[in-house]
Amino acid sequence: MVIMDKERNNPQDAVHRIEEVLSSLDESKRAAAPDFFYTRLRAKMLARHEGGESGLNKTNSREWMLRPVYIVSALLLVIAINVFVFLRGPNETTTATADNNESVQQSIAAEYSLNDNNNMYDLNQDK
Amino acid sequence: MSFSFSIQHVFVSYALKTQTFQLLNELELIQGLRNAEESAFKFLVETYQDRIFNTAIGIVQNAADAEDVAQEVFIQVFRSIHHFKAESKLSTWLYRIATTRALDHLRSRKSKKRFGFVQRLFGDSNEPLYELPDFNHPGIALEKKEDAARLFKAVRQLPDNQKIAFTLHKLEDLSYKEVSEVMKTSVAAVESLMHRAKQNLRKILEKDTG
Repeated sequence: MVIMDKERNNPQDAVHRIEEVLSSLDESKRAAAPDFFYTRLRAKMLARHEGGESGLNKTNSREWMLRPVYIVSALLLVIAINVFVFLRGPNETTTATADNNESVQQSIAAEYSLNDNNNMYDLNQDK
Repeated sequence: MSFSFSIQHVFVSYALKTQTFQLLNELELIQGLRNAEESAFKFLVETYQDRIFNTAIGIVQNAADAEDVAQEVFIQVFRSIHHFKAESKLSTWLYRIATTRALDHLRSRKSKKRFGFVQRLFGDSNEPLYELPDFNHPGIALEKKEDAARLFKAVRQLPDNQKIAFTLHKLEDLSYKEVSEVMKTSVAAVESLMHRAKQNLRKILEKDTG
């Protein structure tokens, strides 16, 4: 505490401290790789090869689906499809369906000659 | 006089021969890797594992993550050795892959953190969100560990380019020229990066003290 107060009071000491911190890596030794690094590396490579993906990153078949980029892309795709359908409008679809229905009706009517038969049968006519 | 000249001549020839031997060794090593020889790959890993691990740990500041990164570096080297044109030294290429992989790992860690936050909003993830603890590099002397921990914490806040230049120069003891070869930039650019890195680190450390 006292030292910190002194540092605050003496800016030169603060600067000196900062320079000491900056030079704290000057005589550092290289960190050694963990023991059996090569053994674990080879095990990892063999595991990927056994996964049948020839050295490429082996991922669980379902795990990739949980990555945010895929989830966001899927959502955007669904939204885009919905917007497209919405903008296309319901009329075209309804008209197309109605036209279709009408043509079916006409073909049935033509087959059974229903369109020409407008006569009202008078049951009392023959008498 | 003639004796000292001949001694010098011997040393010069020896140095040239040693360089030639090393160059041949590297070419032989590259050929062995292209042939997927286990012995060549083992030699590569044993020769460079400490350098790659040290570089990775300086950037990701976590031993387990650094080991993962280092493993990925060697796997990538094995897979893409055919694309290595030997225009630079093998070590330069290795450092380049290591720094790229380490930065990718940092970005992936940040995005997992962000996604974890969103998951927590929807009550999905139970993982705690916390900042990395202070990093203690295994190669720092005991009396400097505290200062080094403060420095590493400040390094986390540097922009990527400055982080790489600082790590390669300070931790791996690469010269500015070697750093420029790794970063595919000029020596002047590296000098500028180091200058800005130190300025930024001073500001960060002042803020922490203040």
